[in-house]
Amino acid sequence: MPHLAIDHLTKIYERGKVLALDDVSFSVDKGEFLVLIGLSGSGKSTLLRCINRLIEPTSGRVFLDGTELTALPQRELRRWRRKIGMIFQQFNLVKRSTVLANVLAGRLGYVPTARTLLGRFPREDLERARRALERVGLLEKMFVRADQLSGGQQQRVGIARALMQEPELLLADEPVSALDPATSHSILKYLEQMNRQDGVTVLCALHFLSLARRYGTRIIALKGGRIVFEGSPSEIDDAKFKEIYGEEAEQVEVR
Amino acid sequence: MNWIASLAPRFAAAGRRLSIPLADLLVLAYLWAIGTCFTSFILYGEEAYLLVPWWVMALAVVEGAALWESFGVSLGMRLFGRWLSREDDSSPSLGQRLGYWLSWHLSLPLFPLSFLDHEGQTVAERLTGTVLREPPADAPRGRWYRTSSGWAILLILFLTSGAAFGITKVNLSALIKGAPKTAKFWRSLASPDTSILTLGLKLLLETFFMAMMATVFAVVIAGPVSFLAARNLMRGPLARPVYFVVRAISSLTRSVDAIIWAIIFAVWVGMGSFCGALALWIHSIADLIKLYSEQLESIDPGPLEAVAAAGASRLEVIRYGIIPQIINPYLSFTLYRWDINVRMATVIGVVGGGGIGWRLAAHLRSWQFPEASMLTILVVALVWAIDYVSARLRAKLA
Ligand SMILES: Nc1ncnc2c1ncn2[C@@H]1O[C@H](COP(=O)(O)OP(=O)(O)OP(=O)(O)O)[C@@H](O)[C@H]1O
Ligand SMILES: [Mg+2]
Repeated sequence: MPHLAIDHLTKIYERGKVLALDDVSFSVDKGEFLVLIGLSGSGKSTLLRCINRLIEPTSGRVFLDGTELTALPQRELRRWRRKIGMIFQQFNLVKRSTVLANVLAGRLGYVPTARTLLGRFPREDLERARRALERVGLLEKMFVRADQLSGGQQQRVGIARALMQEPELLLADEPVSALDPATSHSILKYLEQMNRQDGVTVLCALHFLSLARRYGTRIIALKGGRIVFEGSPSEIDDAKFKEIYGEEAEQVEVR
Repeated sequence: MNWIASLAPRFAAAGRRLSIPLADLLVLAYLWAIGTCFTSFILYGEEAYLLVPWWVMALAVVEGAALWESFGVSLGMRLFGRWLSREDDSSPSLGQRLGYWLSWHLSLPLFPLSFLDHEGQTVAERLTGTVLREPPADAPRGRWYRTSSGWAILLILFLTSGAAFGITKVNLSALIKGAPKTAKFWRSLASPDTSILTLGLKLLLETFFMAMMATVFAVVIAGPVSFLAARNLMRGPLARPVYFVVRAISSLTRSVDAIIWAIIFAVWVGMGSFCGALALWIHSIADLIKLYSEQLESIDPGPLEAVAAAGASRLEVIRYGIIPQIINPYLSFTLYRWDINVRMATVIGVVGGGGIGWRLAAHLRSWQFPEASMLTILVVALVWAIDYVSARLRAKLA
């Protein structure tokens, strides 16, 4: 049984009647580092958000470890979301809160609401936050407001927040598109580390093919909401590349 | 249900066709009246809006609108983004325009016929084979001073400000000659009656607490209710109607000035500082709901998404995604409103809201200037102090 299975997933946005995902099916095994590529507007974000149902798909099903996420009631869904970490292109930190508060937010699915509303997290969670921040090298920034950090540092806080969930699956929506090439690599190395050391399955949308080749164990390319390529990084040759990105596209290298 | 839905665009199209001539008639009638007023001032030095029989004016206005809409792009047409063209978007011929002008007169009485047509076409349009529609995107756009509507607006502004001078009876000589009469007032302002200082302070405190009460209890209500008035949070078929109702009630309440509320409550609970506090309270609630909910509408949705993705419950999303983003602006708005309330509390006092304003007005009415001066000094000191404190605190919150 695959870890994650996507079955005939379709999403039509009511506003504007946009067909963002058109009958997408694939599956992911445990421990894979799957990279999603495709032009802007090809449906990468929509696909990732349909998996943890931040967006409700129009039709189709999503299975995680054999459980149909798309059939779960809200309450159950929240329990399952704990296993699915997510990091974002715009980092999505609460800018006015401290780094620690942002990282602790990753535990919200575990701690009862009555406690979190008072802002009281268990001692283990504070310890866990310390370890997560240490791992991304931001321990000394613990009590700094998030908007005082650089982009790369903010994304590392995002990673620490995902680490707090102790996830089995990590969804990353263009995590390095707002960062420079050197910082991009340092961020993606953290994802690679989570993938290799902690055995977290990673689904990562990326813009640059060179990054996809470097980090992905498998690549899926979307175009107009459909899968146009699925295979190993080495299989994407010039012809395939033109098919995915259009005739005019040039390969841009990011080292 | 479907045919009801299909009525909506029909009504919108027909409504727009009705609004265009109505707007033009209104504009032309206004121009005529104000123009008459203006000329009569210059010629005879007195106010007059009708120098000719009324039917002459009516005829001129109606014909003016008909000609304007047939041979040009009228202000109404611009306002509602419509112009006259043929089916193929080309400009109508002179003959068509002449025909449109003649049959225009039938359109208004036969207006209900437009509802039969799903595009809302009027009789004039159908008789001449023209159609009022949105100008194509590549339509030539004249500079404002080359359009008749531009000139109409300029004329309205010019005549209005000219006529305003006459209507408000601007009288410069009174402004200068009357000045010495205020001497007694200025003199006593410099020698305040200190014997009422303690009484004044007591009244000042009353006014201050009136404002305080109004602000605190307004926050208690407006804080939670503002969530119901935020468009971005109130999605879904159940939430939307609630949103509209809350919005409507709060904007209606806000549009009634606090002074009017004070008069209402003076009748309701009797004059005094309770009446004043209630008036400020009601007005503050409505005002804070607007300020708060606009803040909510401008929050970054990203963190909400992130927190929800980690498995947070709805309340946790509010606590960890929304509240950190709004808490400082909310406090800042509250201080700002508190500042306003202190200021307003004095004015409210004048119309029956008790406190220092009431007393001050009484002294002024009976020409007791030294007493009035004492109280004025106290009010100014309080307002200045609150203004300063509120500004300092708000700077800290930014
Ligand atoms: N909330 C929405 N409402 C309506 N249409 C939307 C919405 N979000 C996305 N779309 C449309 O759905 C399509 C897919 O968008 P999506 O954001 O999934 O693409 P993407 O591959 O992530 O692009 P990018 O690289 O720019 O992030 C686009 O055509 C987009 O315009
Ligand atoms: Mg995207």
